[in-house]
Amino acid sequence: MIELNGVAKTFDGTIHALQDVTFSVPSGSVCAVLGHNGAGKTTTIKILSTLLRPTSGQAIVAGYDVVRQPAQVRANIGTTGQLAALDWQLTGRENLVLFGRLRGMRRKHAQLRADTLIDQFDMAHAADRRVGTYSVGMQRRIDIAAALVVPPKVLFLDEPTTGLDPRSRRDVWDLVSSLSAQGVTVLLTTQYLEEADVLSDSIVVINEGRVIASGTAEELKSRVRFSYCTVSPANPSDLCRIFDVVADLEGAQADREANTVSVLAPDGVATLGEVFRRVDQLGVELLDISLRKPSLDEAFLHLTGSVSA
Amino acid sequence: MTAVAALTERMVLGALRDDLPFAILAPAGNFVVFNFGLRNVIDTGHMSYPQYLLPVIIVQVMLLGALTTVDRAARDQGSDFGIRLRTLPIPTVAPLTARMLYCLFRGALALLAAIAVGYVFGFRMLGGVAYGSAFAILVLTLTLAVSLGADATGTRIAASGIAGAQMGNSGGASQLLLVPQLLLVMLSTGMAPADAFPDWLSPFVRYQPVSQVTETLRGLAAGHVDVSNLAASVAWCLGLLAVFGALAVRMQKRTQ
Repeated sequence: MIELNGVAKTFDGTIHALQDVTFSVPSGSVCAVLGHNGAGKTTTIKILSTLLRPTSGQAIVAGYDVVRQPAQVRANIGTTGQLAALDWQLTGRENLVLFGRLRGMRRKHAQLRADTLIDQFDMAHAADRRVGTYSVGMQRRIDIAAALVVPPKVLFLDEPTTGLDPRSRRDVWDLVSSLSAQGVTVLLTTQYLEEADVLSDSIVVINEGRVIASGTAEELKSRVRFSYCTVSPANPSDLCRIFDVVADLEGAQADREANTVSVLAPDGVATLGEVFRRVDQLGVELLDISLRKPSLDEAFLHLTGSVSA
Repeated sequence: MTAVAALTERMVLGALRDDLPFAILAPAGNFVVFNFGLRNVIDTGHMSYPQYLLPVIIVQVMLLGALTTVDRAARDQGSDFGIRLRTLPIPTVAPLTARMLYCLFRGALALLAAIAVGYVFGFRMLGGVAYGSAFAILVLTLTLAVSLGADATGTRIAASGIAGAQMGNSGGASQLLLVPQLLLVMLSTGMAPADAFPDWLSPFVRYQPVSQVTETLRGLAAGHVDVSNLAASVAWCLGLLAVFGALAVRMQKRTQ
């Protein structure tokens, strides 16, 4: 449904925003493009939504070439940017009707569709206020609704949850899941690993304009071959003491919220034994000690770190 | 067509909540200020000062109205809303067309308001329906031409990202364009006849577009026009329309 083949974008002849980007997203699945600020995520979306012309390479969206058949691409996509792309002078309802008519609906039909979306997005209380008065979360909701007035085959979400509170973020996640269940192909960009992990069927990691890894979350985690040894004390106040005795081991870090101390375990069980011995000498009561696979967070840091190193 | 209609309606709705009321009040304010300020100072011969003044007030209001297009075009080019418009299945020139239809709508309202105020103070359309229609067509053609120029400017500013224009803040440019606009109006025969200006300035004053057009409008209101003056006005308007129109359309690129 989405295919990129060797796509490159160079600005002003010297700034290589994207280089040889190749990946594909099957129909009806959710793909997360993951990367730091400036990695090339937005440039990728702009090329796929016909806003930028690739310097070289080919991109196909919904079966159409973005350079040669931009009109057909536009007829099949919905987009939302990092900020709400709405007319601030108009109410939420007026915005939805406007986007319906811009997609060729008759006024009556567009009004009915707006009513449906307002119900579906639980916006009845605010639909007739100007969008300029909305909270960020509400703007985002009406913004996504505006992209769905005519259900698109492919939906692009550029950092859909940036700046949202946890509840609104959860709402967007639920929405993306339900869209993909309805068969919409979704490509979203995010800086949040958790988001990519929860939402997507596949992940493409971009760093400095290049794809450095792609696959499912599990596959990415398994690319980081070593494990971590994690210790949780029964009493959270012992966390610091545990950290102190293992601080000299590689990758040692304490996570107060999760009540864990982690160290890299290059020698697997042997490392676990060493950690256990040291903690045992402290006489601290443990809740848990285990070996685990790296989190996606750790995998991401490892992947992007290995490129810049 | 639906897209143009929807976008035009969007602009009218937005403007009603923003500066459209001002567009209608502006002619009255301008007319009253200049009429009472200048009517006893400037000698316009046998023609009453309201009859002499109203055409240039209309031209001034049209020019000022057109300047607001700079901001609208910049906003449509640079805002997230405008960027989304470029990903929609609509013709590339649809937003420009809608902005121009809105300019004509706004111009027509301002024209009606100006004539209404003029009538209160003694201005009269003496030439009948044909001359009256020609009067309106000339005004609206000038409005369209200048609006296209303003639109091209706004789009260019936003596209090049000068002076914070990415946020749709092109206030600087429309302020800057006020200067030539004011000079053109002040140094025209719109407010005072050419012999009120120093000799070295009078050729410019006499032949510049605002002078020519206001002279023609005065003639159309009175019911008799000088043919060479009419030709000059029409040439100015059509020439500006062609040049600014071509520029404005060329600016509408959706893919970079």
